[in-house]
Amino acid sequence: MITGKALGRRTFLRGVGAAVGLPFLDAMTPAFAQSKAVTAPVRMAFVYLPNGMDMKSWTPTYEGKLTELPRTLKSLEPFKNDITVLGNLTHNNGRALLDGAGDHGRCSGAYLTGVQPRKSAVDIKCGISCDQIVANKIGSQTRFPSLEVGLEDARQAGDCDSGYSCAYTNNLAWRSETQPLPPILDPRTLFERLFGSGAALPPEARARQAKFRRSILDFVTDDTKKLQANLGPTDRRKLDEYLSSIREIERQLIKAETDNAQIDPKMEKPYGVPADFAEHFKLMTDMITVAFQADLTRVLTFLVTREGTSRPYREIGIPDGHHPLTHHRNDPALIEKVAQINEYHTRQFAAWMEKLKSSQEGDRSILDNSMIVYGAGLADGNRHAHEDLPTLIAGSGGGYLKTGRRIVYRKETPMANMFLTMMDRMGVPAEHFGDSTGRLDGLSDLT
Amino acid sequence: MRVQALSLSAVALAAGIILAQDPKKPEAKPAGPSFESTVTPVLAKSCVACHNDRMASGGLNLGPFQAPSSIMTQREDWERILQKIRTGEMPPKGMPRLPAEHTDALAKFIHEKWEIADKSIPPDPGRVTARRLNRNEYSNTVRDLLGVDFRAEKDFPTDDSGYGFDNIGDVLTISPVLMEKYISAAERIAARAIGADPLPKKPLSAEYSRKDNTLRRIDFSSAEATHRIDWDAEYVIRIGLPGQRGEDAAPVPLAIWMDGKKLDEKPVEVKPSKLVYFNPHSDEEFRLYLPEGDHTFRVGFVNDEFVKNLSEKDAYNSKKNKYVGSILFEGPFPSKVEKPSRKKILVCDPKTGGDVCASKIISNLAHKAYRRPVTKKEVDSLLRFVALAKTEGLNAEQGIQLAIQAMLVSPHFLFRIERDTTADPLKVHPITELELASRLSYFLWSSMPDDELLALAETKKLRVNLDAQVKRMLNDPRSAAFADNFAGQWLETRNLDSVKPDPQKFPEWGPELREAMKAETRMFFEAMLREDRSLPEFLDAKYTFLNDRLAKHYGIEGVTGPEFRRVELTTPQRGGLLSHASILTVSSYPTRTSPVIRGKYVLQNILGTPPPPPPPDVPALDEESVGNAGSLRQQLEKHRSNAVCASCHSRMDVLGFGLENYDGTGKWRTVDGKFTIDSSGTMPNGKSFTNPAEMRALLKSDLEDFSRCLTEKMLTYSLGRGLERYDRKTVDSITKKLAASDYRFQTMVYEIVRSLPFQQRRGEALKTENKTKEVAQR
Repeated sequence: MITGKALGRRTFLRGVGAAVGLPFLDAMTPAFAQSKAVTAPVRMAFVYLPNGMDMKSWTPTYEGKLTELPRTLKSLEPFKNDITVLGNLTHNNGRALLDGAGDHGRCSGAYLTGVQPRKSAVDIKCGISCDQIVANKIGSQTRFPSLEVGLEDARQAGDCDSGYSCAYTNNLAWRSETQPLPPILDPRTLFERLFGSGAALPPEARARQAKFRRSILDFVTDDTKKLQANLGPTDRRKLDEYLSSIREIERQLIKAETDNAQIDPKMEKPYGVPADFAEHFKLMTDMITVAFQADLTRVLTFLVTREGTSRPYREIGIPDGHHPLTHHRNDPALIEKVAQINEYHTRQFAAWMEKLKSSQEGDRSILDNSMIVYGAGLADGNRHAHEDLPTLIAGSGGGYLKTGRRIVYRKETPMANMFLTMMDRMGVPAEHFGDSTGRLDGLSDLT
Repeated sequence: MRVQALSLSAVALAAGIILAQDPKKPEAKPAGPSFESTVTPVLAKSCVACHNDRMASGGLNLGPFQAPSSIMTQREDWERILQKIRTGEMPPKGMPRLPAEHTDALAKFIHEKWEIADKSIPPDPGRVTARRLNRNEYSNTVRDLLGVDFRAEKDFPTDDSGYGFDNIGDVLTISPVLMEKYISAAERIAARAIGADPLPKKPLSAEYSRKDNTLRRIDFSSAEATHRIDWDAEYVIRIGLPGQRGEDAAPVPLAIWMDGKKLDEKPVEVKPSKLVYFNPHSDEEFRLYLPEGDHTFRVGFVNDEFVKNLSEKDAYNSKKNKYVGSILFEGPFPSKVEKPSRKKILVCDPKTGGDVCASKIISNLAHKAYRRPVTKKEVDSLLRFVALAKTEGLNAEQGIQLAIQAMLVSPHFLFRIERDTTADPLKVHPITELELASRLSYFLWSSMPDDELLALAETKKLRVNLDAQVKRMLNDPRSAAFADNFAGQWLETRNLDSVKPDPQKFPEWGPELREAMKAETRMFFEAMLREDRSLPEFLDAKYTFLNDRLAKHYGIEGVTGPEFRRVELTTPQRGGLLSHASILTVSSYPTRTSPVIRGKYVLQNILGTPPPPPPPDVPALDEESVGNAGSLRQQLEKHRSNAVCASCHSRMDVLGFGLENYDGTGKWRTVDGKFTIDSSGTMPNGKSFTNPAEMRALLKSDLEDFSRCLTEKMLTYSLGRGLERYDRKTVDSITKKLAASDYRFQTMVYEIVRSLPFQQRRGEALKTENKTKEVAQR
């Protein structure tokens, strides 16, 4: 009755002409009215790489128009005119500032929040991240206010970095200062979230499911409010988190009723997590591309792997862990391996850019209509450098950014300034964010 | 407490902050030993030469510690200083050693001060934040509540952990993604529990075979496949067995395992049949009830001696061997036996019993799901779902299914919330017996209280029967969850799922070996617990638990078959946790061992004295270029010539070197590349060893640190919160009782359950939140 049956693993969704159910949609009324967006939406995304970068291979030796790209960026050659490579952006709050060791935990927590995370294994406190500020404001226009994805399973036991909770390295997006948003790692989970569990229920069953879900949500909301009445502040906060998640689901249910686009992801439902890094990367970005195309979300954070990760890259013949390699102490052989990993990551990113660039919407490509930050929370991983963070933005945000250039800012320019500029474009201007000192000059306006 | 103390002091030390002094009145001159007579001379003689305001070696300036008041105001730092002196790390090598009577007098003097001070501190049980069920708890609770086998571990986002455990209330958050999962999981679980979903009219089939490479080879006669079962139902599993063995071959038992658990077994002829085939082949069938979910099925001959002597060439020659060539699943078929979940839930027949029956079923379930008696109002609000289903044209069973869905999403089910019953929330008070029942069951079973616990709690008889209940719970198979969840995190063996040893260097690494490693440690821990063994056995036991795969890895003969069994250890190569391949693997790099990581592992998880993070200006240890220029040991020793590094590494590395006879996956070795393994070492306190066995003996000879470490970890896990200063008394008293009980492991469990923080709680002020923590932060 209430649920449909998941189709078997080998079920192809393609070609069946099948309306792929949407997660909360499959429960929804069937009206099929595709509303045409007047102007193409702008997306904001952050692709995070851990353990810094081999800066020699990353940094162009010149400023201005991008010509010869350095080694790590080579694979982005076809998109040279679509990217902006930024220099000297700094996360001061990633630095110790009297908090001692733990640069990996700190830089990861600070990355999108611009604040210094509290050094604690358990009493976590960071800040709301800029993607979530945007999602809170414009998220109601899409089915998912934001998407959080990643490629590496969270570390489950033990200490994460010198007293910093694993929450700081397991997550990029922070819904509030205490509530991180865990990334989806399993392609199947992402698929089901975006396109439904594959249960193609008949319309009346879907309508019924929606009705039941909503009455259950009402019931638990009621219960929770009664329960909260005489709890202490911390317990009440826990239940607030619960309630706000309930409200988010309710919003999705309502959204799904009004906007009924049925999306054919044109791919087989993935089964589990591929062992091969490139394949995992491709699967996730394929689905994100569809999500962008269908305007399911406009805000994305993509934690490629966790800060401090010791993942080896056997795919390219590197059996050593990434993190130990980055502490290369200037040994050329080790630096070479780090550079190879950086190149490898960028190649995967480039393949995704290719897809976004070839997806047209109106007179621009999705890539053009996006601002996709690709970068790391540390510069030189060997010495945990928090200044001149490797950062590039792909896409122009619908012609807003003047791309195809390398811009080097004044030393110690806060990374948060870039966020402010991007938030402007997303229609969520703020006075300041984190440790910002202003906007980035020369990014959207040529000077 | 200790962990936090260290990180705090590390912050202060690293930054060289001079904390403001509390200008207390000078203490009255005691007649006996004084600060001036015990502490000052030691500091002056052995410490301040380096730790002064000019040099501040290792970031420590002892200036502020010259004042007697610092014993109280900088207690964490003093604890650390005492620890350094006690373990012999300080004064460092090359400096004159302190005579034991001086250091003892110093430690005694300071400890007495603390004891006096602690006496006046009112006992504080602390406050436990409302805990959301984590993934394991959710799965187990669903199993015990409804009899449905659901694996949240495979479906829900990873739970964040704090203090090394993933059941800490403060860090368990709920995101919209998790909420979505709760809602859809509730739908699936309720549907499966009631079993109202019709099965497909025609059975489906899926085949995995050697030929098209969909079958994973385990050895020359067994194989494995991962298959998704979509319905709780019966399935026919048909095993294709190509080939034949010799004329005189005796029947061999063929068995099938699901997720490591043997489901069935039957004897199978392997000699040539009388019939003439072009290709010898036979089929065997199992018909089994299988639960919904992704499962790993393994099929193979049990104790198959025959394949041991088979060459690769003959293994799949159908004239020479009989082996598993394919596994075919056919189903689902309706089961003749009623689902256990239905029996559990449908205490009467709602089709005929009407509203009275529905109400009975719902109140019975809600009572268990909410782990407390429910009010009539609550039952009525759940019954509304039965009515709602009816208006939608569904039957009563389906209405109950809907009500179950609602219960599974309710905060009463998903959270364990304890109430502060006193008018003043800050007042310390015992938790209710019902709250105690849940604390007990989630501590020892990672699941809900069963009927017996609930019944006792409701009649207020749980506290008076506490020991008997703990005993019952430990003997119950559900306590296996304690080994999985507590030991799996304490010993970090859960990380086996994410470590990736280099297949070039460790070609034997694979799922089978990994699972065997996990099983050894889990079973060892369970035996320690169930048999109430003595703590030193953790460090050096003369037995362990092996199957053929792991025994082969260890080079131990005479263990055949995939089943685990207790094996007596006859050589000193292995003994105790620190020789378990699981632990040795999680404390290694993908390509090689790391004495530093292993040393840190021992300090952190066995001795409870984790080293502070390296000061910011010290380069990370030069470990990577190892193997070419010199042995790992030579390189590390070079590193330790730096006095700042040496103060920690002298302790850490020695412990790691003592384990160098085990490679990156815990295999025994005597050489590493071109270098002979030297696993000798001298502890900072001057005691030395020449091999792992001697190191174990040394560790075992002083149980104070280990028993305290384990107590702290288990107390943290049992409470779901980090330990604070005020918990010290509890830890002290438990370790004392442990020592008095000959370190019996169960004593620890009983004492934790009886302890103040487990039995009582206090709330927090209703307004302003955690001002003190903000202060402590800076």
